[in-house]
Amino acid sequence: MADDTAGTGELDTGTENAALNEALAASHAAVWGYGVVGAALDADPTPAAASEEAHRDLRDRVTALLVERTTEPVGPKGGYAVPFPVLSAVDAAALAVVLENGVAAAWVRVLDQSMERSTRELAVAALGDAEVRAVGWRTAAGQTPVTTAFPGLPAD
Amino acid sequence: MPPIPPSRPPGFSRRTLLVASAAGLALLSAACTSPGDEREQVTSEQADELAGQVAVQESLVAAFAAAGAADAGLAAAVAELAAQAGEQLDRLRAAAPGSSTVPTSSAAPPAGAGARTWLRAQVASTAASHAAACLEQSGARAALLGSIAAGLRGQDGRLT
Repeated sequence: MADDTAGTGELDTGTENAALNEALAASHAAVWGYGVVGAALDADPTPAAASEEAHRDLRDRVTALLVERTTEPVGPKGGYAVPFPVLSAVDAAALAVVLENGVAAAWVRVLDQSMERSTRELAVAALGDAEVRAVGWRTAAGQTPVTTAFPGLPAD
Repeated sequence: MPPIPPSRPPGFSRRTLLVASAAGLALLSAACTSPGDEREQVTSEQADELAGQVAVQESLVAAFAAAGAADAGLAAAVAELAAQAGEQLDRLRAAAPGSSTVPTSSAAPPAGAGARTWLRAQVASTAASHAAACLEQSGARAALLGSIAAGLRGQDGRLT
């Protein structure tokens, strides 16, 4: 993907829809990933199920939006590479953090690329929801700090 | 098998965001926007609103200090959150250079245990303000405000 955020790219519906498709791809990955998270949380899979449901809802909403715009929505992959072995509840929580961070980055990208106010409204809500979930998962994973000043933005 | 999407999309960095944002406002002040370049076309309303969000964030930083003064235990408990609010303020100031601001809230927190509840309300209202302002911006400014709003929503849950 070309760097079209460096102050020289022109925003249009194409850049907005492309960013929405990236967010949709992140939602597909999150839905898949929460299956792994839930499987490792035998004692209490409820938080993973709730997070997965939230991503399913968002996935369906973005898919419908793209179809409405006659833009082909990306589909899910057959599987995804997990970044580390998930062998415990703490690992599962850490994976959930990775999932939510990926989703947050995608929605920040949508904010950067969108033309429509309604799209920004969707994006800022989705970004906030992802960070609220991430705070819970960072806590469960024993990560500190559990909050972050700039969700979705890289650390440099 | 594809990896789970990274938290940093290719070609997208915070530095890029800030450079774009600062460049946009600098060009605005010079009345020298580039035709056809959407992200450099910052309206005066957008510039004013971003400067206004600096004031909103300054009020939140002041609220952390006031709440800490009212409840010493709370000051220690929220030190990390206060530091993050300060980082957000620095970033907003960098995105709105030359903004002259006045904190929008001068209310004092109640002493003791009520300070935490008061501080949480300040965090929540600041998050809502940045989220609303984000809708009226575009490009890097929208991304920055949206990210800060999300960060404060995360803080809100820590203050229950």
